[in-house]
Amino acid sequence: MEPIDQLHQFIFAIQPLKDEEWQLFSAIWQPFECKRKTILTAAGETEKHLYFVIEGLQRAFYVGDDQKEATIVFTYPPSFSGVADSFLTQTPSKCFFETLTTSRFLRTSHRQLEELMNKYPAVQHLVLRLTAFALKGVLERQIEIQCFSAEEKFRALLKRSPHVLQIIPHKYLASYLGIDPATFSKLLGTVRL
Amino acid sequence: MKSYKSNDLLEGLQADIRQLVLDATYLQKEDPELLLTAPAPGKWSVAQILEHLNGYGRYYIPAIEKSLQSAKPHKEKFTPGWLGNYFTKIMKPGADGKIANKMNAPKNHQPAAGLDIKPVMDIFFEQQQRLLDLLEKAKQKDIGAIKTPVSISRFIKLKVGDTFRFFVAHEQRHFLQIANAIDEIKKTTGKFRSTPPVIQRSPVFLYD
Repeated sequence: MEPIDQLHQFIFAIQPLKDEEWQLFSAIWQPFECKRKTILTAAGETEKHLYFVIEGLQRAFYVGDDQKEATIVFTYPPSFSGVADSFLTQTPSKCFFETLTTSRFLRTSHRQLEELMNKYPAVQHLVLRLTAFALKGVLERQIEIQCFSAEEKFRALLKRSPHVLQIIPHKYLASYLGIDPATFSKLLGTVRL
Repeated sequence: MKSYKSNDLLEGLQADIRQLVLDATYLQKEDPELLLTAPAPGKWSVAQILEHLNGYGRYYIPAIEKSLQSAKPHKEKFTPGWLGNYFTKIMKPGADGKIANKMNAPKNHQPAAGLDIKPVMDIFFEQQQRLLDLLEKAKQKDIGAIKTPVSISRFIKLKVGDTFRFFVAHEQRHFLQIANAIDEIKKTTGKFRSTPPVIQRSPVFLYD
């Protein structure tokens, strides 16, 4: 399937658009690709792009005072990507955003998306729905981080997204759950799912 | 001469600078005393190296800004000049992460000792953000048509695309020096906690 058709499928499952709206919406996306370990947004920078992932694995992470990296979010196809809060608010990001594997995207700019949102309520509604689901995900994860034990976090992740064990290196998964890589390996060996 | 797609080059340089911002973020979380210690008598501390880079930025960032204002619209291809290639080549560390040819900074780029690390780091970060912005603006311009005078002589001019390449190579070179200085200080003083290397030794050079 062509990248733009993948985007079509993804969007229409959330919010169908009229022909004219889709024509204009699909025209603001450009193909973009890069190697693994390319930093696409640095902390302090304002996110200029919204990405739609066609291929590859990416993550956003924060560098703590103890020099530990906290992985905040992973993205892989099909999904939107980039530093969402910085993109939506157009304020500087606290996170770095990087590719972990060779990646292909469609991407658009904040300016282009905003122009369409101003003209078409359906596009605005689409962005609102996407943001709402993203917020739901963030708050669910907030609960897990604050209230769950290491084992509970491990179980919750694997129940929700069992496939991540195959596609994401375990050291990054440990960093995502906020647990020690050694603890992660132990859980992997002992927990019966 | 090898030419680039202008925007691929500019994107690559942006990614290189973001890597330096990440490296500097790690440095910022080191013990400030470590950053002020000279690895050996007469050698620069990390703070001095960063201040040296800031000195370059103070000259080149406004110079690039000025060049871009008068630049013509975007051109798809960029062909480096021979002088730009030469300057970038002598600056850039090898893919093995080693600095081949050592050189001494010109007198006017010698940083003072006894620096306050916080403002030095703040200025470094601010300059990198300005560079990222300039690289973004440059995507609308013809980076081969306009020229920027180099800091050592106003008679030597580089294409603005080459000035970017040279500037980033210079920063990468000194970040390797920083990594080496930190290793040396930790080894000789035994005073600072031994953390994994904060700086990537063999940076992924997207564009050489």
